[in-house]
Amino acid sequence: MPEALLEAAGLSRRFGGLAAVDAVDLRVERGAIHGLIGPNGAGKTTLLNLVAGALGVTRGTVRFRGADITRWDAARRAQAGIRRTFQNLKLFAEMSAVENVSLGLHAGTRAGIFAALARTPGERREEQQIFAAAQRALEFVGLGSHAGVAAGKLPYGHRRLLEIARAFVAEPALLLLDEPAAGLNQTEAANLSRLIGRMREAGCTVVLVEHHMDVVMSVCDVITVLNYGRKLAEGRPAEIQRDAQVIEAYLGRGDAPPAGKNARAVA
Amino acid sequence: MESTRLKRIVTGLVLVALAALPVFEPHQFVLHMLSLVAISATAALGLQLLLGFSGQLSIGQAAFYGIGAYASGLLSVKLGLPFIAAFVVAGVIAAAVSLVMVPITRLTGASLAVATLGFSILVYLVIKNEEWLTGGSFGLMGIPRASLFGYVLRSPASAYLLCVAVAATVYFSLLRLQRSRFGRAINAIRQNEDAARACGVKVTLLKSQCFVIAAFVAGLAGSLYAHQVRYLAPTDFTFWKSVEILIMVVIGGMGSLFGAVLGAAVVVLLPEVLREVGDYRMLAFGAILMLVMLFGEGGIAGFLEQCLKPFSKPRA
Repeated sequence: MPEALLEAAGLSRRFGGLAAVDAVDLRVERGAIHGLIGPNGAGKTTLLNLVAGALGVTRGTVRFRGADITRWDAARRAQAGIRRTFQNLKLFAEMSAVENVSLGLHAGTRAGIFAALARTPGERREEQQIFAAAQRALEFVGLGSHAGVAAGKLPYGHRRLLEIARAFVAEPALLLLDEPAAGLNQTEAANLSRLIGRMREAGCTVVLVEHHMDVVMSVCDVITVLNYGRKLAEGRPAEIQRDAQVIEAYLGRGDAPPAGKNARAVA
Repeated sequence: MESTRLKRIVTGLVLVALAALPVFEPHQFVLHMLSLVAISATAALGLQLLLGFSGQLSIGQAAFYGIGAYASGLLSVKLGLPFIAAFVVAGVIAAAVSLVMVPITRLTGASLAVATLGFSILVYLVIKNEEWLTGGSFGLMGIPRASLFGYVLRSPASAYLLCVAVAATVYFSLLRLQRSRFGRAINAIRQNEDAARACGVKVTLLKSQCFVIAAFVAGLAGSLYAHQVRYLAPTDFTFWKSVEILIMVVIGGMGSLFGAVLGAAVVVLLPEVLREVGDYRMLAFGAILMLVMLFGEGGIAGFLEQCLKPFSKPRA
């Protein structure tokens, strides 16, 4: 098998006695849009946090571009090209939209305290580049005309897009999206699906945690299904929709099936 | 855009007024008090970076202020170092000592506040008890006046201008930092540490840098104080001084450099103005502090900004 962009082996994370993620193997191929679904509490966000470095692993390894990054902290992983969004939006509310996105370029830029004090030509050039790139990223997600608005004052759907812009601006190799469609209406969700596709075309590999089945089934190449912290199934969207175990995991909880035409959200 | 231009004009006017003040030959006590305002403002500006920008609550700035004051005083008295050298070294020593704060930058909120307060108490006790070095409770006497390039700043006006020049330099330096990549990153840390980390910000490193910068600036302020007052006593650097510096930042307006200067002016001058009410001085001071905080979190600077708003909007 060729080397995958991300390879997690035997990943486990325990909280006290509870195994939130239990010996999960995950292989994300370069250029893929990889869905991560499962009922509430299945361990999707925990798994994402383990990959992003926001949580330490209890057991297992994470390899990214062939390197063992298991002991790297979140900032180092971000610098290496793993960027994420948060399920419950974590924006810098008092900063403008374009400043929020400019933070996404922090790791790739250099100007420090002394360069800022001296206003060196290099520092000024870098500042211009940062804000030009941030503006382009805002336009890419469709927020080009909101650059100067404080993030906390943007409507909800725009805040979701802003977080994506902040993660995308650094041109990450791996983009981890944690329920980007949560709370979006049907039109916004369809836009989001197209945006995820365009980010893949721009060179990002995407891991998508999502409850919104229209989005998952329309954009994902591969879907991994988690249940009680373990991997339940993995395959192409069509396979997952037919998988008896998956249907039972959802139906068994008294929820809507994952593949219904009108099923907006499951679990 | 309009609002920043207005701010620039106001800042420029204030600076010109401060520089031109000695021309009117005010009483030397007035100049002395204004020098003390500039010195306190310098220390408060450092804490503004730490608290207002990066969100770290320190009640220990008097420790670095005291270290800077004693370092500068001792270097001048015992080693005969010229003022400029003592001034810079005082800042560097305070910054170096602040490196012991690195392990506690993982603390936040009340825990961090108490840890820095503890440090402030510790430094006070060292100053008070190490008589061989600091003179203990007797204090440190005979500190020479500040001098520049061999020229001793004898007149209160020249000493005042030195203090204002240092405060202004610190002010504009921190303003540059605030509007830089570094400034945005520490601002991001204050607003959401997790998100800052996810952007690749090295949170612990940047928080530590803030402590070091604030301590350096407090050390410089301490040095100015030593050469302005020319006599240091341990009681100048109790934790109450730390609280005073904190009050300056909070009533001035969190996150506002201009506010830190205003806050310093209020905290230094108000007790003098209130001498009229005699025994009730500190009572009135406390009551005024409470009233100012009723303006809201923006403090005095936020209140002024609200007042200026109608003038800064382009007319329709």
